[in-house]
Amino acid sequence: MVENNNKPILQLKDISKTYSSKTSFWGGGGKEIVALNHISLEIFKGEIFGLIGESGSGKTTAGRLIVKLEKPSAGKIFLNGNEITGLRGKVLKDFRLKVQMIFQDPYQSLNPQLSIYDTVSEPLHIHKIENVQARKYLVIQALKSAGLTPPDDFLHRYPHQLSGGQRQRVAIARAMILKPKFVIADEPTSMLDASISAQIFNILLEMREKLDTTFLFISHSLAAARYLCDRIAVIYRGNLVEIGPGEAVIQKPKHPYTQALLDALPKFGHRYEVRRYDTLLKVERDASQVEGCPFFGRCKVAHQKKCIRERPHLVESDGSHLVACFYA
Amino acid sequence: MGRFEIGSYEMSMEKLNKKSLNRSPRIARFRAGWAIYRQNLLGKIGLTLLVIFALMALCSFIPPLIDPMYQPMTGVDPDIAKSTGPSLRHWLGTDFMGRDILSQLLAGARVAFMVGVSAAFMSIVIGTTIGMIAGYMGKFVDTLLMRLADMIMVMPTLLVVLILSALFGQLNIWIIVLIIALFRWPGVSRVIRAQTLSLKQRPFIEAAKVAGASHMRIIFRHIMPNVLPLAFLYMTFRVTSAIIIEAALAFLGFGDPSTVSWGMMLQWVWKTGHMFKAPYWLLPPGICISLITLSFYMLGRAMDEVLDPRLRKEAETG
Repeated sequence: MVENNNKPILQLKDISKTYSSKTSFWGGGGKEIVALNHISLEIFKGEIFGLIGESGSGKTTAGRLIVKLEKPSAGKIFLNGNEITGLRGKVLKDFRLKVQMIFQDPYQSLNPQLSIYDTVSEPLHIHKIENVQARKYLVIQALKSAGLTPPDDFLHRYPHQLSGGQRQRVAIARAMILKPKFVIADEPTSMLDASISAQIFNILLEMREKLDTTFLFISHSLAAARYLCDRIAVIYRGNLVEIGPGEAVIQKPKHPYTQALLDALPKFGHRYEVRRYDTLLKVERDASQVEGCPFFGRCKVAHQKKCIRERPHLVESDGSHLVACFYA
Repeated sequence: MGRFEIGSYEMSMEKLNKKSLNRSPRIARFRAGWAIYRQNLLGKIGLTLLVIFALMALCSFIPPLIDPMYQPMTGVDPDIAKSTGPSLRHWLGTDFMGRDILSQLLAGARVAFMVGVSAAFMSIVIGTTIGMIAGYMGKFVDTLLMRLADMIMVMPTLLVVLILSALFGQLNIWIIVLIIALFRWPGVSRVIRAQTLSLKQRPFIEAAKVAGASHMRIIFRHIMPNVLPLAFLYMTFRVTSAIIIEAALAFLGFGDPSTVSWGMMLQWVWKTGHMFKAPYWLLPPGICISLITLSFYMLGRAMDEVLDPRLRKEAETG
């Protein structure tokens, strides 16, 4: 476990992202879709921070905002205390050196026309690092530490000749070759087998040891987050509902949504469906008019009056464990 | 998601790749594409015809070497001063001043290839570059370039060339090629733009962005290799239109008077009043123009089928 009292490497301050149907490709009848709703969080140096949520909860959007693939609608992002929201030109290029991303789908994130060597060495080319000889050495080192051995065998292959796991290792090697300070891993294993996932996780853990990199691990899987993360944040429809130390969130979840997520994990050795918390409504309420808690529509614990009217804020409930629920 | 979109083309590629590991995807793709192409009757006919025309173009250098009277433009048979039918000496007969029609026909093949391929190549280069830039940059640049493309697309090429040659007198064949290229890129750029729009959403482009790649690098290193097959497909269709435009110009009397093209031959038939008197003179260039455009078209159709699995028959996709 990493000490939390050092300085945050990354800070999100009141970040919102809305897609309006005019400029977005989601379509819809002129209404705005809120992907992130006033998110604030801090990630500390050297930790693996898990961002957990279901599909469409905005977790990937958060990652894309941090690597500047998209612009936030409101709010500010700081890296090492410097604002990154408006970077351009050379400063932006320097920022790219420090922050990298591992994408979800290894079948889509590698250019089919480029060999593995070309793919992995591209960041070196872009940032004009070292000469050809040194680059080759660096690429081989990166492939080796991403678990592709022997690396020489892979240099001149093309993505279609590799398996999904191998492709994801290539993507990891590409992200890590610049020795970034901060890496966003956007569901890096959701397309892979469970056994391969464990190997990929171990590679990420090794990388952290070796390069002292900070990770933002985005996933829908609490099990993966438990294995990997020092701290976990749970996000529901663009709202952070719970942040806390990994073990605490998993063992003593406070928010009914986190509890529902834990209930949803398959369990072995039980004849019946076992629910420890049972916080999810069987039939969703109509929550379109609700100004209060975003989880109201599906929450069994919710109090009709208070939860409809008031939006719960993230409040410290147990040391560094924060929850946005009146009943936690 | 991507895995399920991949067509049988890619599957046949993977079958192939088990045999040929460590091959560049271009070579592997070419071999897989060739395997599909060979199944296509149209493609086979088109390719055969093109090979014949290419041989004709290559052979165009031979007759003048045998005897100077076989020079397509300047060589005149000293014994003949009017159009004669096929004979041993002139296999396809002679034209109104005793020039050999066969050697003109062979030279015409060379000109057709020259005009068709170079005009098509140029328009592809222009069209692909503009299409990629418009699709990738989007917004203002996209609007500007595409409105320009629309404007050029609605202009009738033939008419513009006619006006230009009326203004500047006889046009050199390369000027004609250049004009055709400048007027024929908008169609290509629209297709390439559409392809670029879908490519730029793919995560590997975003990965390049995150790595810090510049716009130029993304366009030419990441997008271009992925749109090139489509560009080459469109090149075959552009060849067809370039040949037809050149033939029409020459027939109307606005061609380059120093080159012997098939259109030019037709114009001579027409001008000297042999249209219905000398089928041995009228038919060969006419048939050649039809066949060469047809064969490029069939080549394009077959290549289309290679690139787009949806066009293939079920039995062939299995």
